[in-house]
Amino acid sequence: MGFQKIIIAMPALLQGAGLTILLTLVSIFFGLILGLLLALGRLSKNVFFDRLSQFYIWLFRGTPLLLQIFFIYYALPTFTPITIDALPAAFIALSLNSGAYLAEIIRAAIQSIDKGQMEASKALGMSFTQAMRRIIIPQSYRRLIPPTGNEFIALLKDSSLVSIIAMTELMRTTSLLANSSGNAIYYIPCAILYLAMTTIFTFVFGKLEKKYSVYE
Amino acid sequence: MIKLENVYKSFGKLEVLKNINLEVAKGDVVCIIGPSGSGKSTLLRCLNHLERITEGRTIIDGELIDEKIKGKDSLKISSKKVASICAELGMVFQRFNLFPHLTALENIIEAPFTVKKVTKETAIEQGTVLLKKVGLEDKRDEYPSRLSGGQQQRVAIARALAMNPKIMLFDEPTSALDPELVGEVLEVMKQLARDGMTMLVVTHEMGFAREVANRVIFMDKGEILEDSSPEEIFSNPKHERTKLFLQKIL
Repeated sequence: MGFQKIIIAMPALLQGAGLTILLTLVSIFFGLILGLLLALGRLSKNVFFDRLSQFYIWLFRGTPLLLQIFFIYYALPTFTPITIDALPAAFIALSLNSGAYLAEIIRAAIQSIDKGQMEASKALGMSFTQAMRRIIIPQSYRRLIPPTGNEFIALLKDSSLVSIIAMTELMRTTSLLANSSGNAIYYIPCAILYLAMTTIFTFVFGKLEKKYSVYE
Repeated sequence: MIKLENVYKSFGKLEVLKNINLEVAKGDVVCIIGPSGSGKSTLLRCLNHLERITEGRTIIDGELIDEKIKGKDSLKISSKKVASICAELGMVFQRFNLFPHLTALENIIEAPFTVKKVTKETAIEQGTVLLKKVGLEDKRDEYPSRLSGGQQQRVAIARALAMNPKIMLFDEPTSALDPELVGEVLEVMKQLARDGMTMLVVTHEMGFAREVANRVIFMDKGEILEDSSPEEIFSNPKHERTKLFLQKIL
């Protein structure tokens, strides 16, 4: 009888899981772009960019994601003319937050590349930008993948926090079902779906890591 | 080709180069010998701006490329200009510094393609010729991790040559190699010298210095103590410290 309830609820749960994946993919995408810019800022000789990146990372790693979500969705409209809908607010909060974490991951990956690589590039007449783009950053991919996989999975689970601004992703769908029916059985398929998603993405990241290790 | 005038270099309080005056003519093969920490490598690295001098002037091929007077940068040259001059100096490193994510051929064509903007076809054609020159045409599609140290260093030499440098700088090119692999690298360098390349070689290979160099420079504690022909320096060293060093190493 519990099983039947789950079957009936499945489309709703899958839809919730779909939104969870969408939130995670979009946020990791913008988070990576933002993270790369912040990492380059941290590595820059320009003190201003370095400080700016440091400040950003300090701010977004040092406050709870939940607070950031509240701030963007509820607080911003109260003292600025900016009003953001729930979905874009969720994207923005998750991207801004993951950007801070990914920045440190990317910075560490770039810094772990042997100094001799930059020297060899310079000795061959390459500019800093050319060396970064053609030599250093491509080598950092492989080292980037395991911690980015971690961050991805953390983000996938943390995306449940946006249920607080009425985003019906997997977690909220489940609680709605559980609350309205008074039956806690829905938490089981919810857990299974989370595990299925994290398993799939762990596999994908493993493949990526292999792909970028061919030269080792 | 190369001229250093009253060059000083220090890292913080540590003076690594002291009043270096050196001229290298076209076609010269100059070996720089001396104990470790004597500033040999730093001297090379100051030439292509991997390090910046703290005092003096460096001139490459008639172009003033670095000038510091009383510690002040008295010369403003664009980083573009620096890069174009560095490209005239090929450099070979002790630890090879090949690009591990690129194959042997890709290592060689990378700089001609990105810096000189030659077409991929031309770069591949020239790269293949260079691989043949260092005897590795069958390794063109191998990644550096699959090559022996000697093979890696030969690819690194080919990579430097791909930019058609006027001068080649070698920074202890055989020091990181197993003894049985040293010969193949020295052979390539000898061939280069025979072809008339201007070379500056920091080395501990006294046999090579004796056979190939037309000048040998002995450095100690940041100073050039002797600069003469290999015959002279090996059989009749003038300076006490040169004698001591050669006694230990020969």
